[in-house]
Amino acid sequence: MNPKLRLFAFLFLLLGFFTAQAAEQRIEFTEYTLDNGLHVILHQDNTTPNVVVNIMYHVGGKNEHPDRRGFAHFFEHLMFEGSKHIGRGEFAEIVEAAGGSLNAYTSFDVTNYFVLLPSNQLELGLWLESERLLHPVIDSIGIATQKDVVTEEMKQVRDNRPYGRLMLETISRAFTVHPYHTDVLGPDEHIRNATYEEIIAFHDMFYVPNNAVLVVSGDIDIEETQRLVELYFGDIPRGEHEIFRPDVVEPMRTTELRDTVFDQIQLPAYIQAYPIPAQGTEDYYALRMLGSLLSQGQSSRLYRRMVVEEQVALQVQAMPLGLEDPGIHMILSIPNMGVDPLALEEIIDEELEMVRAELITEEEFQKLRNQVESRMVNSNTTIARRAMNLAEYYLLYGDTNLINTEIDRYMAVTREDIQRVAQQYLREDGRVVLFYLPEAL
Amino acid sequence: MKRIFIAVALILFAVYTLSAQVDRSRRPEPGPAPVIQLGEFDSFELANGLRVIVVENRQVPVVSFQLTLDIDPVFEGDATGFVSMAGSLMREGTTNRTKQEIDEAIDFIGGSLSTFSSGMFASSLTRHKETLLDLMTDILFNPSFPENEMERLINQSKSGLATVRNDAGAMASNVSRAVVYGADHPYGEVTTEESLENITIDMIRQYYKDHFKPNVAYMVIVGDIDATQARELMENHFGQWEPGEVPSRTFPTPQPPQGRRVAFADRSGAVQSVVIVTHPLVLTPGHEDAIKVSVMNSILGGGAFSGRLMQNLREDKGYTYGARSNIGTDPLVSRFTARTEVRNEVTDSTVVQILYEMERMINELVDESSLQLTKNFMTGSFARALESPRTIANFALNIARYDLPEDYYATYLERLNAVTVEDVQQMAAKYLKPDNSIIVVAGNRSEVAETLIPFSATGEVEFFDAFGRPFEEPDLMPAPAGYTAETVIEKYIEARGGRAKLEGIQDMTQVITASTMGMQLQVKAYQKAPNYFLQRMEMGGMTLSQQAFDGEKAVVLSQMGRQEFTEGEEFDQFKLQSVMISELRYEEYGIQKELLGMEVVGGKKAYKIEVTSPAGAVSHEYYCAETGFKIQSVSDMSLSTYSDYREVSGIMVPHKTVQQAGPQTVEMTVDEISINSGLDSSLFVIE
Repeated sequence: MNPKLRLFAFLFLLLGFFTAQAAEQRIEFTEYTLDNGLHVILHQDNTTPNVVVNIMYHVGGKNEHPDRRGFAHFFEHLMFEGSKHIGRGEFAEIVEAAGGSLNAYTSFDVTNYFVLLPSNQLELGLWLESERLLHPVIDSIGIATQKDVVTEEMKQVRDNRPYGRLMLETISRAFTVHPYHTDVLGPDEHIRNATYEEIIAFHDMFYVPNNAVLVVSGDIDIEETQRLVELYFGDIPRGEHEIFRPDVVEPMRTTELRDTVFDQIQLPAYIQAYPIPAQGTEDYYALRMLGSLLSQGQSSRLYRRMVVEEQVALQVQAMPLGLEDPGIHMILSIPNMGVDPLALEEIIDEELEMVRAELITEEEFQKLRNQVESRMVNSNTTIARRAMNLAEYYLLYGDTNLINTEIDRYMAVTREDIQRVAQQYLREDGRVVLFYLPEAL
Repeated sequence: MKRIFIAVALILFAVYTLSAQVDRSRRPEPGPAPVIQLGEFDSFELANGLRVIVVENRQVPVVSFQLTLDIDPVFEGDATGFVSMAGSLMREGTTNRTKQEIDEAIDFIGGSLSTFSSGMFASSLTRHKETLLDLMTDILFNPSFPENEMERLINQSKSGLATVRNDAGAMASNVSRAVVYGADHPYGEVTTEESLENITIDMIRQYYKDHFKPNVAYMVIVGDIDATQARELMENHFGQWEPGEVPSRTFPTPQPPQGRRVAFADRSGAVQSVVIVTHPLVLTPGHEDAIKVSVMNSILGGGAFSGRLMQNLREDKGYTYGARSNIGTDPLVSRFTARTEVRNEVTDSTVVQILYEMERMINELVDESSLQLTKNFMTGSFARALESPRTIANFALNIARYDLPEDYYATYLERLNAVTVEDVQQMAAKYLKPDNSIIVVAGNRSEVAETLIPFSATGEVEFFDAFGRPFEEPDLMPAPAGYTAETVIEKYIEARGGRAKLEGIQDMTQVITASTMGMQLQVKAYQKAPNYFLQRMEMGGMTLSQQAFDGEKAVVLSQMGRQEFTEGEEFDQFKLQSVMISELRYEEYGIQKELLGMEVVGGKKAYKIEVTSPAGAVSHEYYCAETGFKIQSVSDMSLSTYSDYREVSGIMVPHKTVQQAGPQTVEMTVDEISINSGLDSSLFVIE
């Protein structure tokens, strides 16, 4: 065989491969803003006859009054109660009778609602969401019931679960003035004390079109969907109040905070929390890659050393919490039975010192880049995930097209960046160290 | 190539609004029902018997390989956990690569690779697929099962098991499996620290040798690849895999219990109970009932939010964050489970409601509208699942593995929509066994366990440990160091209001309702210091009997006539009973007392004190460790429990007493009570 030809064929294949990949990966969307301020993003994918109506409100735990922590999440529950034209308890029933399913979640920064439907029920989905945005109806029975439900949710996911309070205990120390210091569920009594007037006021301030982004993705026709969106959302009035966004800057900690918490657990946990910049910043991408270096995969530095080689830990994880305001990078480890958590600290600190002192190898760096690529490729495989990601990129990053280009930001990170962020942010004098110990000890 | 189309005419056509002003009170009508199209798959078989299923999907440049062995479960006995350990250990080293080399190679390509006792899963970007398959086949053909890695995994599993002891959810799951399937069925075996100790490397090697054969294996390939490429890859990488005989095993089918059982696992300090109502059943994949049963379950508490359990327990009562039920299919045996987590004080009410909803499925036809809702919901879920190419791959795998008709999934929606309300009721009657179920609760024993007694056919609550083993009640636990009978009695006196208050009781009058064998009696009891006593029993205004004691003479008046005692055993008993708080008078009456230790009574830890009268009669008194109150008293003749202590004039008085004597149980509740109302001694003299 002619070697030249073979080389040519090889190049051709390679080229073909890359262009094909780029074309397949690109997620097309249309975005615009209605007169009332509602931002709309439409993404068409007719592969399966399904649609997603996703509406994300720019309100989360951090927008709450200090005496009403947990309110945003509690309000999320109330949004399923009904509206002017939807009776109590009918909301979910209507969705399910139409062959759909629905859910919502509240984070520190946003509250997100999604309804998944067969594509011939798109209009129903838009009607449902417009109803509860425009005029939700919440009665005293609904309020009382959802207070009970939320109380049980607190127990189920936090108070009655081993390590359930770990996150709360960490953030309540890592943040002193910023509202990130309480978890999204909040304390029970805050929810118990919530009044009807507060619920109405919360809706009027935050549940307004100019504080939301509506994403419709899936088996749609763009023009027809635009018409329907205008029909159901166009005449919803813009909010009249200035939206409460606490402008609080968490002061830099200058000395290490060490503390101990007791809980009903069998094995202790050891936690470090370092203050870091907000998600979407350049350094945040470097920090995420640093997190991967430390604990993603069994060959990662902390996992290999602590779980495989020295066998002191059952688990170890290093992860920056991606938040709209500056957040924290957490390192969390659970020791094997009989191992002192202090032994974990020694190793973690040694490994962090190593990252600060020496550049990572080219090979490790390539591994991190491959891991990022793999993760990004797998993060947009369903219309629901795409809808959620589009909403978040718009609302929290201010750039919807990051769904296609965020990978470039990771690829711009250098080995030196990773070393630098380790030096700059993972500093012992700025961190919180928490020993989470079994009560019986 | 197999290509399948389905059209489901769910409902009608859209009536689009033409004006810009929308009438919001009008719920939008759906458009024409979309065509739900099942994707395509290819399948072929290698000469060694490996069956391959390929689902091409070019949406993202990723390809995955899933190897599934179709083998019978293994009964692991005292080495439970070795089968799953064999699966985990496979990827921890080969004759060509160390664990570290394997980890590095997989992480470097950003891929994933896991091994299980019944197969493997590997996935990566398409361009790394050759590397991925090299690793996968090295692990599949040449595992070295290094002993040091086994030790590591065992230690790690032990640490993992330790965390279960505080995890009510995991405890409930363990108990539920162990009780539903029984310890002699592979599905009922639960790994414990002890069973991990018994695992040997030879068991693991043998398991691998016996089961990893191409002739019992399916390879499912999904993603950025076509059938031709897939065939070439399979021939190259798996063509040399040697077939061989694989052992088969059968097991007796677990049966539901004769009567309802209550199984409890204690998670002390819990603020919620994990409640599972469950029982075994047989429903094989593809069975003609399977779709009807899934509709029935969905109405009761399946995936939909509109499920009855969710609506009842969450939206109506606010007991829980969520409640769902499930019925799976399995070639051997499956089970029904209804599961929720609720606050302690409504645990028993929750069980009542779950059983009620099960009964309602059996006794009543469901509404046409809720059946239609469920069918629509399930149709929608089916259509949404098709978004993932893995769904088609799983359909193809199930058809092959369980020998289902080729069009099983193609006709799924048709059969779903043919289910009737009568079918639903029949399925409920056939598969739900509320009276033969097991109620599993993991939670706060002292607050909850006793309330579950009424659900048990035997009146017994069975206790289990965190791993589903019967909990051996330590008969008698030692009391804390330094504790004596005096300490316990002093604590009791303190709990009831203090010595001064109790000594200050001059008289007490109680009106009591006693019920036994469906009858209600009224008892009036009068006591006066130091030892006057009168008890009158009435029914419908008629006096049935009277007993009186004035310190010197006991008189009993009944339909059998009049009896008098001035000495002897009966007299002694009257003498002791006539004292209001006998604990205050032990010394005076020459009564011996000894602290024997602690026992659990009605779910509560209690001090056990042996009391001996001068005549030698022995009884045992139990004082709650938490509250200090006397909660039980046991003699040869009878067993009495005391509860519902309430304050009366500064003194805590039990308002409920249950007395068992032989086969007879009398339940007494105090309706009226007064202290120091100035009773006259003459009241206690019966002429």
